[in-house]
Amino acid sequence: MFEKVLTRNIHNPAVLTLDGYKKAGGYAALDKALKLEPDAIIEEVKKSGLRGRGGAGFSAGLKWSFIPKGKKPKYLACNADESEPGTFKDRLLMEFDPHQLIEGCAITCWAVQANTCYIYIRGEYTKAAAILEQALKDAYNGGILGKSVMGSGFELDMYVHRGAGAYICGEETGMLESLEGKRGQPRVKPPFPAVVGAFGAPTVINNVETLCNVPHIIERGADWFKAIGTDERNTGPKLYAISGHVERPGTYEHPIGITFREMLDAAGGMYKGGTLKAFIPGGASAPILTPEHLDIKMDFDTVAKAGSMLGSAAVIVMDDTTCMVRSVARLAKFFNHESCGQCTPCREGTNWMELILKRLEHGEGEESDGAKLLSICQHIAGNSLCALGDAAVGPVKSLVERFMPEIEQHVRERKCPYPHRRYFGNGA
Amino acid sequence: MPKVTINDRTVEVETGTTLVDAALKVGVQIPHYCYHPRLSVVGQCRMCLVDIWDRGRKMPKLQAACSMKVENDNWVVRTDTPEVHEAQKGMMEFFLINHPLDCPICDQAGECGLQDYSFKHGVAFSRFRFEDKRTYPGRERIPLGSNVILNMNRCIQCTRCVRFTQEIAGTAELGFFNRGARAEIGVFPGKPLENHLSTCVVDICPVGALTSTRFRFAERVFYLDKKPSICTGCEVGCNITVEHRRGKIKRYKPRFNPEVNDYWMCDHGRSTHERYQKLPRLAAVRVRPDATGNGGFHGGWKEALDLLHRELRTADGGKVAILGSGFLTTEEAYLLGKLADAVGTSQRAVAVEPGPLWRIPNTKGGVSGTEAAPNRRGAELAGFIGTSAGADAEAYLTGDAAAAADVLIVADSDFGAAAHDPQVVARLRRAKRLIVFGWCDSPLAQAADIALPVPTPTEKDGTFVNVQWRLQHFVAAFPPPGQVRPLVEVLADLLARFDTGWSQRTAGQAFDRLAGENPAFAGLSWDEIPAVGVTLNVPQAQAAGSAAAASVAQEI
Amino acid sequence: MSTLEPQVEAPTLPAEVRAEITELRTRYPTAEAVLLPALHLAQKAAGGWLPDATIAAVAAELDLPVAKVYGVVSFYDLYHQHPVGRHRIRVCTNLSCQLRGAEEVMEILGQELGVEEGEITPDGRCSFIHFECLGSCDTAPMMMVDDDYHENLTPQSVRAILQGLK
Repeated sequence: MFEKVLTRNIHNPAVLTLDGYKKAGGYAALDKALKLEPDAIIEEVKKSGLRGRGGAGFSAGLKWSFIPKGKKPKYLACNADESEPGTFKDRLLMEFDPHQLIEGCAITCWAVQANTCYIYIRGEYTKAAAILEQALKDAYNGGILGKSVMGSGFELDMYVHRGAGAYICGEETGMLESLEGKRGQPRVKPPFPAVVGAFGAPTVINNVETLCNVPHIIERGADWFKAIGTDERNTGPKLYAISGHVERPGTYEHPIGITFREMLDAAGGMYKGGTLKAFIPGGASAPILTPEHLDIKMDFDTVAKAGSMLGSAAVIVMDDTTCMVRSVARLAKFFNHESCGQCTPCREGTNWMELILKRLEHGEGEESDGAKLLSICQHIAGNSLCALGDAAVGPVKSLVERFMPEIEQHVRERKCPYPHRRYFGNGA
Repeated sequence: MPKVTINDRTVEVETGTTLVDAALKVGVQIPHYCYHPRLSVVGQCRMCLVDIWDRGRKMPKLQAACSMKVENDNWVVRTDTPEVHEAQKGMMEFFLINHPLDCPICDQAGECGLQDYSFKHGVAFSRFRFEDKRTYPGRERIPLGSNVILNMNRCIQCTRCVRFTQEIAGTAELGFFNRGARAEIGVFPGKPLENHLSTCVVDICPVGALTSTRFRFAERVFYLDKKPSICTGCEVGCNITVEHRRGKIKRYKPRFNPEVNDYWMCDHGRSTHERYQKLPRLAAVRVRPDATGNGGFHGGWKEALDLLHRELRTADGGKVAILGSGFLTTEEAYLLGKLADAVGTSQRAVAVEPGPLWRIPNTKGGVSGTEAAPNRRGAELAGFIGTSAGADAEAYLTGDAAAAADVLIVADSDFGAAAHDPQVVARLRRAKRLIVFGWCDSPLAQAADIALPVPTPTEKDGTFVNVQWRLQHFVAAFPPPGQVRPLVEVLADLLARFDTGWSQRTAGQAFDRLAGENPAFAGLSWDEIPAVGVTLNVPQAQAAGSAAAASVAQEI
Repeated sequence: MSTLEPQVEAPTLPAEVRAEITELRTRYPTAEAVLLPALHLAQKAAGGWLPDATIAAVAAELDLPVAKVYGVVSFYDLYHQHPVGRHRIRVCTNLSCQLRGAEEVMEILGQELGVEEGEITPDGRCSFIHFECLGSCDTAPMMMVDDDYHENLTPQSVRAILQGLK
């Protein structure tokens, strides 16, 4: 029976207080970490195989090792922008176990010798931000933060910085720009944030869930962490946010690599016993998978081999009343709305894709539309300034590749063949 | 210095050179819009994507050449692979899908980045047939300030203009607003684009989104003849290109000179040619009947110069005065000095009006000027006047010095606002004989006994010495009209009547003679004046140089 | 916007807002970094949206070019440059919510409030817009009213929530 790690405290409201968190075992890992060499912590995290939980899946320990030694100042920026459609796991962690995140950030700051940490949280998460602010206050009062973390002499300041409504601020350099008070427009890389990050200084950027794993790795060891999961490249517990046409949408913690079938069962199966048509394994940017992938292991490498990505592990399930064109059109609208507008392929390409998909959905499709969408995808992918362009391509490309007959039906019949809408009146 | 190979051509470059600049060194033009050598790199337009092999391994994605800086010998670059061509086609398609087909009514046609790259790197048909183009209603012809008009539909969101106002002008009036496909450039209400470099954003805009108020619809650029010249607006001496159609100047544009004005020029300088069309032109020799002494003048230059020569010969040398201006070329001032010597008068002055501070940025601290004329220094160095010119001119303009003169020669009928001021004209008219050389038939020329037509600065050859004590030369952009003759030639004819040995009749010949006589110009020859000009070897130049270095040090 | 209008007089921000901004400055190495929090504070004090005068005041307070601040304001979805209702409703219509009835929520709001998306009710009470994913996909359909999330909506619960807004 898999023992919950990241979500072990979410039914214990006492952990919202410093005392309650400590009673539940909290801050013991930080205490232990402060007595270790920073490099030892980086090695341990590297050894654990922890890969970024924000979407990119990059080795966290390896990222930390890029931070140059000796340079001052250095920053940790916790990416709590969580705006990928289908994702809501970080919100759970912040609202129900804020100190776990604070502890993870503190250990990370010690490991890379950063004295300031900003938790960049999306502006819409007002409740989570307030909870975090209170937890930070308590942490300062309790000697966890400030001039001498737990009496160690290590100085650490941690602040909440609220965003203002832009998905692109989840991109690491877009987030840095926004933190610095500018438009959240991603930067040209190189230089990478490890060299030139926030305010020109070396900066580590990690997702909330990634950081929440850190206390557990320190406390229980890399070997324990590695034992959970599929293989040595896909390790540790993972939060899966499942939504759409399932009976019990929600955040579920499983060892990474659980199969989609098992995950679907754990979430109560298909909504009202419907038939699975398609599912997105990792947020709006992930190419869409079909029922043939039911037994796919939901880890980074297996999903990538299947032609998609685990990303933020935001699983969106669609039954057979769903119009795939309409669904992808909505995602195209999202990417067009969220494009920052800097670079030509994304600014113009996402706009064009939304227009074409809208036409298709409204029965004004042309025979050339499918091929044209693929061509546009090809011109965007790899050519945009940041990954949003590639993200926008994901669902559209998979729509044309896997659901061409449905597109052709839209064109042929001059209307959407799935007019049924989920209305409360008819059993939504 | 690191080496990089681009399309099989290897070149050594300074560390940190971007691939766009490195490619230019070997004759490879990598297309780009958002990149500009003087602005921060943003890598936005994605037009400059190239294939790079790093130590033999091809990078998985195309890279934006503008943001790739050469630091070592590791790179081999190709701009001609199928992937690069496909990307260029793709980018061009993206640029054009929402771009209005305005070419027939757009100023930029003929010098448009979209036209040029479309032709070179794009495709000849559109696939955007079933959707509506994005537009910015209400933003098709919106003045951003008094000099620049925006058509937001045409903008390609390269943000060169925004970065210019932030980084070069330092005034930051332009901003990038909204997000994504709705992104636009603009100004905050009530804070328009008003800085002295504002029209430069029109120069750097690759398309017709930003147009110059004074050039809008003025001419098709493919009908313009373009000749290099020097601006006469102030003592900075920005290098410019005179763009004209058959002698009617349509606009000035800055010409690159890293030592002086870099890529820029100010709005005032751009306006200096407008008066050549607006003000009446003096194109014929004119002598007042009562000046001839025999009731009428029937003749041309020869007769007029004979008359002038007679006047000068018979006058008391000490009572002949010559008032030049800061608009005289060095050669003209030199010859005027020779004339003054031949007549035997020390009464010489140069009228130079003060202006506001004009500051042109460059990478070496910038150049500033406050004198509203280009060449007071040339007149000084050429020996026409001493160093206290301004004060001497005041004696004529606001004092009574003219009344004491038997012959007053004013060698510029448009030496400043004062030349059009009736009170000043009246004062100058009190000379017994008033001779005026000029291009403008100003009230001063009309009051003259003898008015002799000479070229505008764009119709003659010459040199100016700017605030940096830099000598810069220029040649006529087009010939002058009517009876106009170059002042150097006219003065040579006049001097020949005093000294039959005088043989220098062109600006070049005059300059070479000046260089032989005058230590400030030693070693220079007209044919070999460098294109960026040359700092003269004079003590004032040394002082100016160290002042500039000090101001750069302060800024750092 | 007319670009050649005379300069907008920049009023100063309310004293409490300035005090909070001053306190926030200690958190960042640059004044510019305070901009996003400062705009949140200024917007709240100005009734939920940012008039040009307030934007100019924030720019003056942080000594930033006003066009740059305008660029920041117009970039983000939570800063409003036009008046909003006393209660601002944001309905998520992204995929997971669309799969569970978000469009019907939008229709109900339109019916109940009697205005189109983006408009303010005549009594100034409410305005509603559709929004992108709010991170509550497991409780779809849902909407955000002012600072609060309202989840697992039904037609009845939507109407009840509206009734509770004054």
